[in-house]
Amino acid sequence: MTVLLLRPWLALAPGALGAGGLSAALTLTSRHEQDKWTSLALVLFVGWSFAFAGLIGWARRPNNRTGMLMVIVGFGVLLGSLAQSNSALVFTGANILGSIFIAAFVQLILAYPTGRLLSTFARRLVIAGYVTALLAPLLSSMFQPHETCKPHACPRNLVLVSHDHASYAITTAIWTIAAALIFAGVLYLIIGRWRGATPAMRRILGPVYVTGGFSFVLLTIGFIVQPFSNVGDVVVTVALLFTFPVPYLFLAGLLRSTLARGAAAETVFQRIPERASPDEVQEGFRRALGDPTLEVAYWYPAGEHYVDVNGNALELPEDTRDRIVTRLDYADKRVAALIHDAALREQPELLNAVAGAARISLERDRLLVEDRARAERYRALLNAMPDLMFRISRQGRYLGFRAQKESELVVKDVVGLTVWDRLPWELADRVMERAYSALENRTTETLEYELDLDGAVNHYEGRIAAAGKDEFLLIVRNITERKLQEHELQASRARIVAAEDAARRRLERNLHDGAQQRLVSLSLSLRLAQSRLRSDPEEADQMLEESRTELAQALEELRELARGIHPAILTDRGLDAALDALAARSAVPVELDVCEACLSPSVEAAAYYVVSEALANVTKYADASLVRVTVGATNGSAEVEVVDDGIGGADPVRGSGLRGLADRVAALEGTLEVDSPPGRGTVVRARIPIEIG
Amino acid sequence: MANRIGRIGDLGDHTGVRVLIVDDHPSFRASARGLLEAEGYEVVGEAADGAGALEAVEELHPDIVLLDVQLPDVDGFEVASRLTTNEDGPQVVLTSSRDSADYGSCIDDCGARGFVPKGELSGAALALLLAL
Repeated sequence: MTVLLLRPWLALAPGALGAGGLSAALTLTSRHEQDKWTSLALVLFVGWSFAFAGLIGWARRPNNRTGMLMVIVGFGVLLGSLAQSNSALVFTGANILGSIFIAAFVQLILAYPTGRLLSTFARRLVIAGYVTALLAPLLSSMFQPHETCKPHACPRNLVLVSHDHASYAITTAIWTIAAALIFAGVLYLIIGRWRGATPAMRRILGPVYVTGGFSFVLLTIGFIVQPFSNVGDVVVTVALLFTFPVPYLFLAGLLRSTLARGAAAETVFQRIPERASPDEVQEGFRRALGDPTLEVAYWYPAGEHYVDVNGNALELPEDTRDRIVTRLDYADKRVAALIHDAALREQPELLNAVAGAARISLERDRLLVEDRARAERYRALLNAMPDLMFRISRQGRYLGFRAQKESELVVKDVVGLTVWDRLPWELADRVMERAYSALENRTTETLEYELDLDGAVNHYEGRIAAAGKDEFLLIVRNITERKLQEHELQASRARIVAAEDAARRRLERNLHDGAQQRLVSLSLSLRLAQSRLRSDPEEADQMLEESRTELAQALEELRELARGIHPAILTDRGLDAALDALAARSAVPVELDVCEACLSPSVEAAAYYVVSEALANVTKYADASLVRVTVGATNGSAEVEVVDDGIGGADPVRGSGLRGLADRVAALEGTLEVDSPPGRGTVVRARIPIEIG
Repeated sequence: MANRIGRIGDLGDHTGVRVLIVDDHPSFRASARGLLEAEGYEVVGEAADGAGALEAVEELHPDIVLLDVQLPDVDGFEVASRLTTNEDGPQVVLTSSRDSADYGSCIDDCGARGFVPKGELSGAALALLLAL
């Protein structure tokens, strides 16, 4: 068996020759064959054609079962010719087994070109074919009505049961219908396959399907007509004649791809011009392989992906029934891939030859495609940039521009104008001064400038880079927003510094006027009491009592001051407790709702001061009966809200306290809003990002 | 006048030396008055600011003015300068709850006799300054 699989020729070629010889011997010595030579020629031609073409196919394509199936058909035809035997046993057996080759032929057509049956329906059809091919002749023989052999009587029919004509008619009718149905199924399948086939696949299927399909149509008609007329026999014979070309068509296809292999490399190079663009290379491949849908994918090492001929990123598709990928690697290095019709797999020699020859040219093209990919990337980059770009000549004349929105251009028709036409002269001079420097020194120059557009001052940043000897690029970015933010940031910083200075001065003043004065008085009082201790103990005692009161007041003042610097309770016991303490000291009743969020110390401090300042304002100005304080965390921000039911009308711009708070919150990238419509209370709301804090 | 100064120079006896206390903190004025009077000085008046001090000196002719540096209207140095331009004017002793080092050379330049930190104020301290 192993020998048979590895070297089918060794066992089967002599077998086919032997079977042919045996068939010839039996035919020529047959007593019941009328036309011995024609019959022999037909059997040997058809049988050997299938057997030897099949063996060639088997040897060339060991993995393709088509060759093997052809060999089976060939041997089946030779087996049928054993019915020429004068021996009753051989005659009867050959009559029963003589139709097997038709079932094998059905399988061959349906399995073409891979040799494998792809659908369940096809497999069932083939099984039904084999069953019919065995049972139909058996039943016919069992109820054979009369002798069919001439000029002499047939050998004895060993399975004959009766000559009952009715039984014969019924069995014949049954298997004729069965055969007709099977042939109809085959036609249905091959028409379906033809319609779903790609152009490349049609080229492979075409010749075989035309001849095979035609013979099946004739066979179907023949088998239907046969029981009623001798014309049926003629039709079946013609149908069999049409199967003759099938093995040769297969063989021809095989020889064609073998011959093509040598020509393939040459074809590729001939089809592709010397300095071909990637598109032309792809077109060359399409023609050389006869697949107009073929795509070339080049490996792009910098991006570690494939790109198409236009330089766009491309992901290789998964192999499907219709479309597969052939990778072209060179010494473990990826070069390219061909995405093509699955039918080309049936011509591996052609594909391999083309692929081999292609690697060299593709390696060259890959560099070209890399350039395109790079250009594509730069284009994407430029498109993504919001900047205005101008190409300007050394003489200051605009050669081209790119703007996301035309409204960004001061003057719309830019090309052809000079920088002095478009810009204030002083600015144009500055631009050209930098441009000359960029052109001479090959450096990138920058300049910032302002333009008054529609009454609003816009700030711009220009970058100038040489592009060739006599041309430069001016890339302009509108930085107004950034400038405003910088300005606001500076102002905010200045306010923070000023507020800090003021706070220090206030603190020093408070210390000096308050606790320090009390301590001074205390020191003097104690000294006085000390001097009176002996002479007037009673007065001394009263003085000491007054000193104690003074000291208690000094301590309270110090505590109040310390709270103003930083509330110790916030550090020690957290925001919740600190706000509780604030609420307890507030002159206006406070409803407090603090969620237990984990906030950083700086966010907690900011939240505390927002509440503290807002409560102080409520007490001083709002004339409110209730304040609601809420602290929560939503969407990554701490949200502090102080709402009162007072008279409203607070102006956040005028109050230095609120502005100081806004600066403090802004320093943490947060926002402070004050909503205070007259007569409807005030809402102070701060949002501070938790991450930043 | 010379007689009085002579008495002021005597460290032990301050009886009859007339003092004007100028400070904007009532608590300090009261304590200082108590302390100085206990040591024999005669506190002839008090003033809470610079203008009040100048008026009181005009009216009361004290021997010594105990003058706080930080006053609500003009600072103590200004008041001291004005008081000491007249040779017959009172001796001025500056005082403050701050340290004298905080004021640099202002104390020497304004014509005052010296500086007593508020916490160290006593009759003896005043007498020591005036004796120098």
